[in-house]
Amino acid sequence: MVFGIRFTLILLILGSVSPGDEPLRFNRDVRPILSEKCYACHGPDEKTRAADLRLDIEQEAKASAIVEGSAAESELVDRISSTDPELRMPPPDSGKQLTASEIEILRRWIAEGAAYKGHWSFLPPQRPDPPEVTDENWIRNSIDRFVLARLDAEQLKPSPEADRYALIRRLSLDLTGLPPTIDEINDFVSDKSDDAYEKVVDRLLRSNRYGEHMARYWMDAARYADTNGYQYDLEREQWVWRDWVIHALNTNMPFDQFTLEQLAGDLLPNASDSQRLATGFHRNHPITIEGGVIDEEYRTEYVVDRVVTTSTVWMGLTMTCGRCHDHKYDPISQREFYRFFAFFNNISERGLNGFNPKAKIPSPYLKQQLRLLDVELAEAKAAFASAIQDSGLSLEQLEQQLSDGADHWQTLVPSKMKSAGGATLEVQPDQSVLASGPNPATETYELLLSTDAGRVNALRLEALTDPSTVNGGTGRGSNGNFVLSEFEVQFAASEDPDNFRDVEIANAEADYSQEKYHVTLAIDGKADRTGWAVDGNTKIENRSAMFVFREPVGHASGTILRVRMIFKYGGSHHIARFRMAVHESSTPPVSVSIAAIVQKPRGKRSPAEKSRLRDWLLQGFGTDDVKKAASRLQEIERERAGVVDGFPATMVMAELPNPRKTHVLLRGEYDKPREEVQPGTPAALPPMPDELPPNRLGLARWLVMPDHPLTARVTVNRFWQQLFGSGIVKTTEDFGAQGDWPSHPELLDWLAVEFVQSQWNVKALIKTIVMSATYRQSSRLRPELVAVDPDNRLLARGPRLRLDAEVIRDSALHVSGLLNSEVGGPSVFPYHPTGLWQEINNRPGYSRTYKQDSGEKLYRRSLYTFWKRTVPPPSMAAFDAPEREFCLVRRSRTNTPLQAFVMLHDPQFVEAARHLAGRILSAGGAATQQRIVYGFQSCVGRKPTQQELEVLSAELTRRLQQYRNDGQAAAKLLSVGESPVDESIEQAELAAWTSLGRMIMNLSEFVTKP
Amino acid sequence: MNPINESNLLTNRRYFFARGASGIGIAALASLLNPKLFAAAPSLAEANGPGYAPGQPGATHFPAKAKRVIYLCQSGAPSQIDTFDYKPSLEKLNGTELPDSIRGGQRLTGMTSRQSSFPAAKSFLPFRQHGDSGQWISDMLPWHGKIADQICIIRSMYTEAINHDPAITFFQTGHQQPGRPSLGAWLSYGLGSESESLPAFVVMLDKNTDPQAQPLYARLWGSAFLPSNHQGVKLRSSGDPVLYLNDPTGAEPKDRRQLLDGIARLNQLRREAVGDPEIATRIAAYEMAYRMQTSVPDLTDVSDEPQHTFDLYGPDAKIPGTHAANCLLARRLAQRGVRFIQIYHRGWDHHSGLPTRHPKLAKEVDQGSAALVMDLKQRGMLDDTLVVWGGEFGRTVYRQGGNATNYGRDHHPRCFSIWLAGGGIKGGINYGQTDDWCYNIVDRDRYGVHIHDLNATILHLLGLDHRRLSYRFQGLDYRLTGVEDHQPVHDIIA
Repeated sequence: MVFGIRFTLILLILGSVSPGDEPLRFNRDVRPILSEKCYACHGPDEKTRAADLRLDIEQEAKASAIVEGSAAESELVDRISSTDPELRMPPPDSGKQLTASEIEILRRWIAEGAAYKGHWSFLPPQRPDPPEVTDENWIRNSIDRFVLARLDAEQLKPSPEADRYALIRRLSLDLTGLPPTIDEINDFVSDKSDDAYEKVVDRLLRSNRYGEHMARYWMDAARYADTNGYQYDLEREQWVWRDWVIHALNTNMPFDQFTLEQLAGDLLPNASDSQRLATGFHRNHPITIEGGVIDEEYRTEYVVDRVVTTSTVWMGLTMTCGRCHDHKYDPISQREFYRFFAFFNNISERGLNGFNPKAKIPSPYLKQQLRLLDVELAEAKAAFASAIQDSGLSLEQLEQQLSDGADHWQTLVPSKMKSAGGATLEVQPDQSVLASGPNPATETYELLLSTDAGRVNALRLEALTDPSTVNGGTGRGSNGNFVLSEFEVQFAASEDPDNFRDVEIANAEADYSQEKYHVTLAIDGKADRTGWAVDGNTKIENRSAMFVFREPVGHASGTILRVRMIFKYGGSHHIARFRMAVHESSTPPVSVSIAAIVQKPRGKRSPAEKSRLRDWLLQGFGTDDVKKAASRLQEIERERAGVVDGFPATMVMAELPNPRKTHVLLRGEYDKPREEVQPGTPAALPPMPDELPPNRLGLARWLVMPDHPLTARVTVNRFWQQLFGSGIVKTTEDFGAQGDWPSHPELLDWLAVEFVQSQWNVKALIKTIVMSATYRQSSRLRPELVAVDPDNRLLARGPRLRLDAEVIRDSALHVSGLLNSEVGGPSVFPYHPTGLWQEINNRPGYSRTYKQDSGEKLYRRSLYTFWKRTVPPPSMAAFDAPEREFCLVRRSRTNTPLQAFVMLHDPQFVEAARHLAGRILSAGGAATQQRIVYGFQSCVGRKPTQQELEVLSAELTRRLQQYRNDGQAAAKLLSVGESPVDESIEQAELAAWTSLGRMIMNLSEFVTKP
Repeated sequence: MNPINESNLLTNRRYFFARGASGIGIAALASLLNPKLFAAAPSLAEANGPGYAPGQPGATHFPAKAKRVIYLCQSGAPSQIDTFDYKPSLEKLNGTELPDSIRGGQRLTGMTSRQSSFPAAKSFLPFRQHGDSGQWISDMLPWHGKIADQICIIRSMYTEAINHDPAITFFQTGHQQPGRPSLGAWLSYGLGSESESLPAFVVMLDKNTDPQAQPLYARLWGSAFLPSNHQGVKLRSSGDPVLYLNDPTGAEPKDRRQLLDGIARLNQLRREAVGDPEIATRIAAYEMAYRMQTSVPDLTDVSDEPQHTFDLYGPDAKIPGTHAANCLLARRLAQRGVRFIQIYHRGWDHHSGLPTRHPKLAKEVDQGSAALVMDLKQRGMLDDTLVVWGGEFGRTVYRQGGNATNYGRDHHPRCFSIWLAGGGIKGGINYGQTDDWCYNIVDRDRYGVHIHDLNATILHLLGLDHRRLSYRFQGLDYRLTGVEDHQPVHDIIA
């Protein structure tokens, strides 16, 4: 009921009834009534029009139902006030009804002359003169004049400026999506200069975090996700486009250019890679792979999606209605819908599996990374060349030496052998060892090899075929294969035979490895089901693997090697017969692949082969300096190759050479084409100039024409919504007849004109808004405002809003010091409840298991979290994050118990509290009270009051006591999260502060912009 | 935790708030007990007419027959021919080619459009009559025989979509493409919640056993443009029953309580300082979260059920994630005032091997679904609980691939069968007929039940006029049942 009262009051203020004798304004007062109650049958839609009467067009209305200046003679007035249900309009069965005050407005409007005016948002904005106000002192810029004039009219006073703690928190959250640090707060609070505030604004606008934060809103609008949506919803890689957006926003690309590149970058003259990459915007829609669908049906859906998205984002128009019939409220006919559709209907794409066209273009952030690497690479190359020169070596000479080191292998018969599984191990005439007898599921062979050699640097294992196996192959498994899970080596000196030390194996190479069972898996430190296998079920051949030690091992008195071969795959996948050899040399053994390269004539070697041979030679034969320079060079080359190979092809736009024909589709159905249409824009909007091409580029240029009535208004309104929680037009997505009337129409127009005149400078626009006195007001809800304007439409106070899902998570990471500030790159997989993906889709081959990242990737900003449309990130979905299945420019903002669960129990937040505790203890000062203040202020920006301090310190004391008595409880709390626990701190103390951190992070204030 | 201590704590809390510093005030106290966090009333388009207060329990367009719905969605689409649409005519037609006159240019899926022959296949199991009503039900569903007199079988369902994704999206949201609220979200929005400790809309997913089962998507229980507190809350059979419900720190209830008390106290101080009523809502959200930490385990712990419950639902009922276990939970949720309970059973999509795979699926759901109806009836709850059972479309009478004994059936949107029970539905009847080939609905204009008609019927039983339950978005008053004229099926309403 509380709601009902509020709703009524706000209607009185913002609604259509003008106080006193002020003349009615058609757009504000009359059109909403006609649109809502009459247009469905007497409006733009020809098919539903009744009695051949149109009320949306002045001439037609005045030709029959309305007599200018005479309510008494107007049939409209007769009909709406009739008590006869047969005559009464709207008809009782329409479900619509006019209220008494609405009838009165229509009557008065006709009496006053029934003046029509074009729909306000379709008329180009004129820059209004900022009005006179009562209190000049309050004014900081023109925004404030419009706001104060309105408050003056309502006889309300603005709120005082918020304190500095609130201001910097508000600014930081609004401009970067992260709260300020204590240092930043202190700097601002103690900065007595006149431009202290402006300096903060400028600093935040320069931060890379600004672009990340702004990009996040754009990603909702662009329905960006990391999966394809629809049925199977498998992954796609479109993140390079996302990086483009961050970069464009950080470099303050003017919004008109931002528009041109995303809608039609590929059509720009001499389009750059970056401009083509930008067109990924319109490939972000879901794409189906469901086998039974009809290609054209879904291709049509994608084009419709582009129409809907473009019209929502740039024009605030609900063109979607025009798909099936003429728009019922706005002047958009079905034919015009399909003319707009034609702009986007010319992509060389398919409906089923429609992932092409694609282009492999690096992310702007990768490009920066590559530039840095290239510098390092050049340095490393130079260092390498000079190291070789200094050493006096030549590669040719080194290659010559190869033949000398070619065969230093010595076959050894084990001096001792043991099978954990009880198999009999017997030496054969060819010095191999054959396993027979018991053959359990898993097995470990342990061998001792004795040699006189004092410097062993490799071991060779030969797996030999044997008739005792099921297929005469190398493995004892039921299919003849084996999986060597792990190969471990230890050594001891012959004179000290019990003192074994581990041998580090640097590399493994085999003459053959089965796919996904590469020999290196046998030295990965994990005795598990992975390992070296050889397709032994189908390929019956001897195999050989070589294990190269990091350093030569051994002793002048002779060396004992202890070898463990562990087979954990199961199903008796053990080697049946094997032979061991050791390699003694100061140079590494020649591997199979190196030998192959050497055999080729120099001129026939590929660059990769050359570089591999070079590396190998230098590692083995070079001087220490050369080796060092070579490994540095290798490292950078590897890193660079990883970066280059790592970026995926991004879906982009490309036009078909021969335009596809576009037809009006009956009821919007793909298989019911009717009249053919050409690309074009709705007639109710300014025409496209003749010099513009009739394609996407022309459309984009038309959208950013300085006098386009919608683009600038809709865009500034969206930014306003971002900062104030609500747009000046509350229906951000609808500027049509059914949309809300702007709370401050002149302000909206002023901002729109300013924006265009500033060359669409986004940062300048944002700065203008946040510099205003309006924005800087305290957000305290003064009692008189709670009653009259709870939603703050009049702006008599600053914005106070629950933060978005991403900002909440990022805040926790930031205040705890966990945040990884890397910009751009592939999406990441932070903490996530197990089983969520599989429980809705476990079809083999068409489903995925969530593979959680570890380490630094757990702490990336939330805009990098992998977004699966059918299972959006659950901790963010709880805070109103959308699925991203379609364009969204306004999220809902709710409060639910599920949010409390996330804040209390998501390991991300519990772990962050632990790190916050660590920070408090290391950086928060020595005294307990000081530390509490530090922790509190880190999270919410201000210092706690005395009362708050008491509650907090009581909690701390109680927890300290509790955890000192119960070490297990402390350990359990501290164990949440993957990061290691700081053991240098008393665990009970760390746990108590963690508990306090959780308490603070669960405060309403932590999730609120003040 | 000891219930007496719990109650003391709560009493203390109320006392504390009522007299604390400047007092939390009556309104905030009321909101502490506010049951509607999951379905707080948003501003509803005025189109709903005077006297209608959305989200307020009891405020409906006209008197409701049902208070809640349990919806057993059979994802993948069971074959009507082999379940509920008794077709003696197919005995003769079995194996004969489906005539073009019957097919009538019907759109086929990409999966059978290249098939050259379309031989009809009768039900692979016999049907028999059950109950006083003599309803015909396939032997594949023996337990359904026991509820024959309670259920109303609609044999004349039809839909517009022919592939899974658009069809199930249409079935659950009234629109083939993503972007519309689900039925449960509409009901949460329209009717609010009756529970102080559970969400208004709960979703359960049966564990899937069919390797080729079609996936589900969050949009099927999503809220789309409705405020997101109306989306379905998943009750899970493994891991946390409700996401993030369990405290990973293993804190004792007493410690959790203390933590929450401290948070509430600080929030309250802040509320006094800044006057933001939203803080009170957040306090209430934490209180409800606390209650859920007790109410959810209490809900899912079925050890208090007597043996005869398990006799009724079968041994599966003790295995979390089975259909029977979820049906039992559905009854427990219904007892606790949850408005809309949605269960998804996946795996009916049998394009091959249907005569062996369908019985397996049937066995998974038969007893649980039937037991739920019987259980509700025994408890007198069937009168105001509507149960719905069905898939997103039907299956073709003609065989897909295979041979006379082992074949599949392709998707068929032109006719399919579902059943409804309780909540004001006439039991023991069937509605609508298909032709001899089970391919088209006889007199579809009169007897056909479109997805929108079904949804209009469901809303009607809950006291809502489907034309008036709307939400203003992008300038339009959207409704579940679309813009075209659709009607509740009055003939099946008692």
